[in-house]
Amino acid sequence: MPASRFTQTGNYRTRYRQDQTIFATYSEQLSLIVLLALLLLLPLILPKTLLRDVNMIMIYAVAVIGLNITTGYTGLINIGQAAFMGVGAYATALAATRLNLPFFLAIPIGGLAGALVGTFVGLPSLRLKYLYLAVATLAFQIIFEWGVGHTPLLAQGGAISLPQVQVFGVKATFFNHNFVWYYLILPVLVVMALLWRNVLRTKHGRSLIAVRDNDRAAAAMGINPGTAKITAFMIGSFYAGIAGGLFAYFQKAVVIEDYGLHISIQLLAMAIVGGLGSLPGSFLGPLFIVALDRVVGNTSNWIGSQNLFPAGVDAATALRPLSFGLAIVLFLMFEPRGLANWWRLGRLYFKKWPYKF
Amino acid sequence: MNKTLLLSALVSVSFAAAQKTVTLPWSGAITGPTSDAGASYGAGVEDYCKYANAQKMLPGITLNCVTRDDQYNNANTQRNYEDFVGNLNAPVFLGYATGGALQLKSVIQETKIPTLTASYHIGIVDAPDNTYTFLPVSSYSENIVALLEYVAKKERGAKVALIVNPSPFGRDPVVDARKAAERLGLKITDVQEVGGNNLDNTALLKRLESQGAKYIINQNTAGPVANILKDAKRLGLLGKMQFMGAHYTGGEDLTKLAGDAAKDFIWATSYYLYDEGNQPGIQLVKKIGAQYKRGADTIRSVHYTSGMMAAAIAIEAMKRAGANPDAAGVYRGLISMNGSKAFNPGFAVGPVTFSAKDHIGAESLRLLQADATGNFKAITGAQRSAMFQLVHPMK
Repeated sequence: MPASRFTQTGNYRTRYRQDQTIFATYSEQLSLIVLLALLLLLPLILPKTLLRDVNMIMIYAVAVIGLNITTGYTGLINIGQAAFMGVGAYATALAATRLNLPFFLAIPIGGLAGALVGTFVGLPSLRLKYLYLAVATLAFQIIFEWGVGHTPLLAQGGAISLPQVQVFGVKATFFNHNFVWYYLILPVLVVMALLWRNVLRTKHGRSLIAVRDNDRAAAAMGINPGTAKITAFMIGSFYAGIAGGLFAYFQKAVVIEDYGLHISIQLLAMAIVGGLGSLPGSFLGPLFIVALDRVVGNTSNWIGSQNLFPAGVDAATALRPLSFGLAIVLFLMFEPRGLANWWRLGRLYFKKWPYKF
Repeated sequence: MNKTLLLSALVSVSFAAAQKTVTLPWSGAITGPTSDAGASYGAGVEDYCKYANAQKMLPGITLNCVTRDDQYNNANTQRNYEDFVGNLNAPVFLGYATGGALQLKSVIQETKIPTLTASYHIGIVDAPDNTYTFLPVSSYSENIVALLEYVAKKERGAKVALIVNPSPFGRDPVVDARKAAERLGLKITDVQEVGGNNLDNTALLKRLESQGAKYIINQNTAGPVANILKDAKRLGLLGKMQFMGAHYTGGEDLTKLAGDAAKDFIWATSYYLYDEGNQPGIQLVKKIGAQYKRGADTIRSVHYTSGMMAAAIAIEAMKRAGANPDAAGVYRGLISMNGSKAFNPGFAVGPVTFSAKDHIGAESLRLLQADATGNFKAITGAQRSAMFQLVHPMK
């Protein structure tokens, strides 16, 4: 290791223990602390409507970390992440309204419900791979929507309102809702991200990556691929369940439309655009897709108001799915490692600047 | 001369200062799912709002007409609501989708902003959190029950099947329909869910035929219903089965999509139609549509009329609120619309009546039947469903 861990520009690790550290340099640690401090100040600077978007991005980031665990790190294609979010959301809503539990207990219950269902849904992964597994998770998405729509306890997919939360004597009202929830979602996201970063350092986390790269080789090394796959589904859907619980409270009510197949596809797009199997990608993907959604929404509004197309040709409506599809295809073609790769290149540049060796 | 100029400038300035701006907002699907109805509805809100400004309907008040696309996405609806109420101080909110309206109920209750939606889901005005939510016209449930009453009058003991949209919008009237059918002596043989991707309905229709269902009631949007009608025609079932539907199933949208397969379809709605040019409301629709250069399709759409109706109710409530139309004033204005003070803008077949307990506006509806030319003609007068009030008493 070099004398100063501030100016380290390369990989000087000589022991496994060093390889398992979360931060290679002090400057990385420092930059994270600065970033967290800035994030704590963000609501004081941002307009209210943008703060809502930031909250959405953070909630989606929790779900995308979960999706990355199953799909990015373990290689199990999952097209039902929104359904796992939905399981968490409905479980949270029932815990909050039927059991009258406070939000800090109701949300973890949502996560546990997601994990439980995820473990069950993950069972086909013991036998199925690739497209076949994708279809199995797609089937769960459809079963979930149908099941909720026919369950009186879940209001047949209608709305279950969540109670207002109170933290340290501050009640989340209409006027401070985004502000309060920002400070509730941010710590959850940070803890969930750090938790996963730490799991990755353990043999369990590494075994998931080994199974993704080659499950037969992993089995030959003594890893049980079946256990690894089920664990990946369990942890991934736990994250989705937590995201669902947060979303339920943030939206103030649970409605089935918020957990449909289109949201699963959107989460998958976030994971791909961000970079599969990357923690920074789990933040960058939601940021990109939500921003794209806003830009395309405004553009389609403008197109719609210009009467550029004949009646019956709804070009404005087509713009959104077109732009999503195009973003995914372009990323897959030209940057399959996603925005996380740009992040990596940027970091590398600043690490070596100005040409230190 | 200079004095006159100064005086007129002062008068203009003081007039401008006295002119208050109040936001009339609408959030709905201009693009995305159901935008076929939403775009016309939004145009109706926007044009009536502009017309109200031009006519100086609210003395001393200029309306800031804001229609914003939520892409049928609940999160966007909430975002728009936060902006309208939190930043633009809108004293009223005009919404669109069922999911968004249901999700907003507790927020509306908290902010006390009177809200009218394009969704006629009865759950929107059901307890709890229903003090400030209003339906402009009769609910889907009442539409369906009225159709069941029609069937019962025609053929007691008839077999009826329901085809509903797989969403809260579609499922909601099923419970009331079952209760009403039981009381009316009808047999509901099946309830099937059909969404917008129903490319082939052969199996569905054969199943209903084998059950002996003679009356098929749809709670859906026009697109899926048009596909069902076309398949029914192909299978030779149009004469054997009577197809019917609630508000969003019918009108120009249906005849445009289904063509001659829409013939004889029976439709329940509270609105007057474009072809009823003798109605003052429709004359106004045509006048405003032409004034703001809307396309023929938009002006003909019943959803354009519906949008105008929602805007007209909100503006009338503001008018009744007085010089300072805040949310409390608009609420008072809305619940004053009853008895001799009922509001009748002429867009619907009955007057708009609200009170602290009655949150459904134009409760009357008519049944109309499509003729060979694709036009809907009334087969009943304006009426209320007697049975609906028994199966779904409002709290």
